[in-house]
Amino acid sequence: MFRRKRKASDFNDEIESHLRLETERLREQGLSEDDARAAAHRAFGNVTQAQERFYEAGRWLFWDHLWQDLRFALRMLRKSPGFTAVAVLTLALGIGANTAIFSLINGLMLRTLPVRDPGQLVELLERGPGDPEPGFNEFSWDAYRIMRDGNHVFSDLFIGSTMNFFPVRADKLQPQTVFGGSVGGTFFQGLGVRAAAGRLIGPEDVHMGDHAPVAVVSWSFWKSRFNLDPGIVGKKIVVGNDAPLTIIGVTQRGFYGLSEHAKQDIWWPRSLGPSQGRGFPLLARLERGVSIEQARAEMTVLFQTAMNAPDAGLFAKGTKLRIEPAGDGVSTPLTQMLSTPLTVLMATVGLLLLLACANLAGLLLARGASRQHEMAVRACLGAGRGRLIRQTLTESVLLSMTGGALGIFLAYFGTRGLVRIFASGRQIAGAPVHFESLSNPDGHVLLFTGAIAITTALLFGAAPAIRACRPIPAQPPQSAARIGESKSHRLFGKGLIASQVALSLVLVSSAGLFVGYLSHLRNLNLGFERNNLLLVTLDFAHSGYNAAQFPRLSQELVMRLDAIPGVSSATFSSLSPMEGPGAGASAFAEGHPEKQTQASINYIAPDYFETYGTPLLAGRDFSASDQVGSPVAIISEAAARDCFGNENPIGKHLTLSHINNSTKDEITYEIVGVVGNAKYNDIQQPAPPTIYPDLLQQGFSGSQLAIRTKIDPDGVASAVRQTEAAVLTTVPIVRSMTMNEQIDSSIVPERLIAMLSAGFGALGALLAAIGLYGLLAYTVARRTHEIGVRMALGATRSDVMRIALYDALWMVCAGLALGAPLAFWGKRIAASLIPGLSVASPLPIVVAAAIMIAVGLIAAYPPARRAMKVNPIAALRHE
Amino acid sequence: MSTQEDKERLELLQGTLDLLILRTLIFGPQHGQGIARAIQQTSEEELLVEHGALYPALQRLEDRGWISAKWGTSSNNRKARFYSLTAAGRRQLGKETTKWKRLTAAIGRILESEGS
Repeated sequence: MFRRKRKASDFNDEIESHLRLETERLREQGLSEDDARAAAHRAFGNVTQAQERFYEAGRWLFWDHLWQDLRFALRMLRKSPGFTAVAVLTLALGIGANTAIFSLINGLMLRTLPVRDPGQLVELLERGPGDPEPGFNEFSWDAYRIMRDGNHVFSDLFIGSTMNFFPVRADKLQPQTVFGGSVGGTFFQGLGVRAAAGRLIGPEDVHMGDHAPVAVVSWSFWKSRFNLDPGIVGKKIVVGNDAPLTIIGVTQRGFYGLSEHAKQDIWWPRSLGPSQGRGFPLLARLERGVSIEQARAEMTVLFQTAMNAPDAGLFAKGTKLRIEPAGDGVSTPLTQMLSTPLTVLMATVGLLLLLACANLAGLLLARGASRQHEMAVRACLGAGRGRLIRQTLTESVLLSMTGGALGIFLAYFGTRGLVRIFASGRQIAGAPVHFESLSNPDGHVLLFTGAIAITTALLFGAAPAIRACRPIPAQPPQSAARIGESKSHRLFGKGLIASQVALSLVLVSSAGLFVGYLSHLRNLNLGFERNNLLLVTLDFAHSGYNAAQFPRLSQELVMRLDAIPGVSSATFSSLSPMEGPGAGASAFAEGHPEKQTQASINYIAPDYFETYGTPLLAGRDFSASDQVGSPVAIISEAAARDCFGNENPIGKHLTLSHINNSTKDEITYEIVGVVGNAKYNDIQQPAPPTIYPDLLQQGFSGSQLAIRTKIDPDGVASAVRQTEAAVLTTVPIVRSMTMNEQIDSSIVPERLIAMLSAGFGALGALLAAIGLYGLLAYTVARRTHEIGVRMALGATRSDVMRIALYDALWMVCAGLALGAPLAFWGKRIAASLIPGLSVASPLPIVVAAAIMIAVGLIAAYPPARRAMKVNPIAALRHE
Repeated sequence: MSTQEDKERLELLQGTLDLLILRTLIFGPQHGQGIARAIQQTSEEELLVEHGALYPALQRLEDRGWISAKWGTSSNNRKARFYSLTAAGRRQLGKETTKWKRLTAAIGRILESEGS
């Protein structure tokens, strides 16, 4: 249908032949040559119309016009390369930012799992007060039993898979870190996953308190590591440091566990019954016809029962059950870390794109005014209103599509940059996350980008299109260029500027809020000195050293480290602050057996407090002689207050009770010192009561080496590495970073939000400035004559300049008035998403308003100056 | 385009031109001017066919595959485009004729019942 079989000239020939035949026939009837020809024409009717109908019937007119419009739009855009470049770049940044954030959301949260009926799959989460969103999937055995047996809303409620990464070893294989997990007996059955080889883990492999030593691997692991060896069933594989497992089967091709970015490659069975360390992750399938809300309602009640069960020790008071859809993957450390920042950022980039729309609408309107003449000519030549609208919209869509294509390109590199920041997050450091899959745009992303590009084009193209559809004034076209603008049109242009200022105010003030919050976090008093501190993590697991050798080796290492120039002290501990999850225990103070204090634990070597810069408030540090004495501990000020109130704790005793699997360990320590409070594993939480037992005395190997330096810690890093390798020859260094880097890795979401919102805020302000500049420059150019008259009548140059600047200031102030409520509203939303964000201070909004006024005046200055330099004589002579 | 003479003729009903063209071609290949002439003569000058409307209609029928066209020479030795009925066109003519007859019969019955 696109290509006509018959040429128009052939059709015209036919008409010509018809007229000739008809003329001849009429002449035969006795008419003169001229009369016959006229009569033939008369009988034929409108020749042009026949030709047009032939033309229109021969093709799809829609495509034909589209092609015309496109070619024309391309020509118009090529004619003004400056405008085109600014517009395309603006769109590319706006659409690119949206694409980047969306592609992360898509990659992290919107990839449907390759399981049976993913839409029915839900995960159960419990969230105690103070727990991070969305909570944890760790339920006690009793809670599982009660919820499984008592519910009417699930067709199946089964134990899911833990999500961890482990070094995995097998015969003839290089050790490799992979995601794996222990699963319940009905895990694969519940998901509807089949075996590609052998069999999968079934109910027969799990028992109360025990499980069969078997494992199942993924198809991709089978392919990449075993080259699809059919003899895989029966092979032994070692996960972590546990006993070897026998591989019994391979999952179906394409199955990767419960999260697309944390693809699991190995699963083994999970022992059943109470007190199996961490809780059970639970998954369920909704009964047909049951909505997730119904399930939530019923399960909330059941969960209350479960919390009163004897085994419910894991639950704190006020813990709430949550049921979330899991068809697009379960929540993982990565989604937990990123879901809030991505939500905030998606809102931010949405506003940015809206701002870009307002900006372009303004630019296009100004351009439209200068094209009034052209439009008038087109209308006079017979272009219908619909055709004019279509043509302006085609130009907008073309701009937007070009911007969108460039935006996808920018987004690709943008997401790769962002992914690098995520990867530094301590929650996922070292995890074999498939980050590439996040930045590669898939069909969803392209569809999203196309949709926003078109929506954007309609938004910013609407104003010029509506203008094109206004009745064309009946003046002769040549004067159209001088027609004054209508008042409503001028107001609309100013309104666009004001709305850009308003949106920029929201962007800049929220950026200020987030940057302020980040700098607040970076300047918090942590209870230790964060600068000039190098942290080195060691791995003793396969070193061959035993714990008894550790005190001597560690002392030798510390001595040699102290000797490195630039190092002032060094120490060992079991944990370093902000490293990640810590350890805790219940503490009972001597004389107060009824009072239980939840305390954080860190085993430390001598000189820990000196190295970290935490003040010793009372008592003494550990010494070498403690290693042979009775157990001693140092406690923090908060622990002293919680356990002993106002009594002096030095010399008193404290009993720590740990729950290790099913056994309960109790050790009583004599308190020898009290130190200042220090943050433990979260800089946003208050310093918890902390107890520091003596590492060397307890016979542990401290894997955390801390070195206090007098110079930049990076300057001593290589010397530290060499010294460590010389003393602990078989102990590899797993990680080496400064304390500041470690803190940064614990606040990745806050850093991401602050950094990106600052960038987007700056971009927003820049766009508003361009918009303001453009409008003023255009206005001044149009009002040259008026300015000339004013000056001729006695206005001074500074008067003229003041008029232009006042004009700009007015628009900015209107925008600020419009934007302030929005900014306050945005602040409240931000506060609801980010706990701890302080929103009481109006400072960010005030500062943002000041910035916008400054930006407005700077943008207005060049046009105002141009207005001032108008030569009245030249301006009037021009008339 | 209308002259006094034309005004007395009947305007064609929508869609009937196709039927008339197909019918005319049943007697053998014919060029456009011949078709127009044939329709006028056969209808005893009762029907008004604007010649200009004929050609887009011919093109439409050709696109649908009901007629085929070829340039040839007319009886008085002029170049002209000759149309002939295809097998599909013949079938279409049968269908359209039946439809037309049913339609006119039905309308006729109504008009007669009202007249009585």
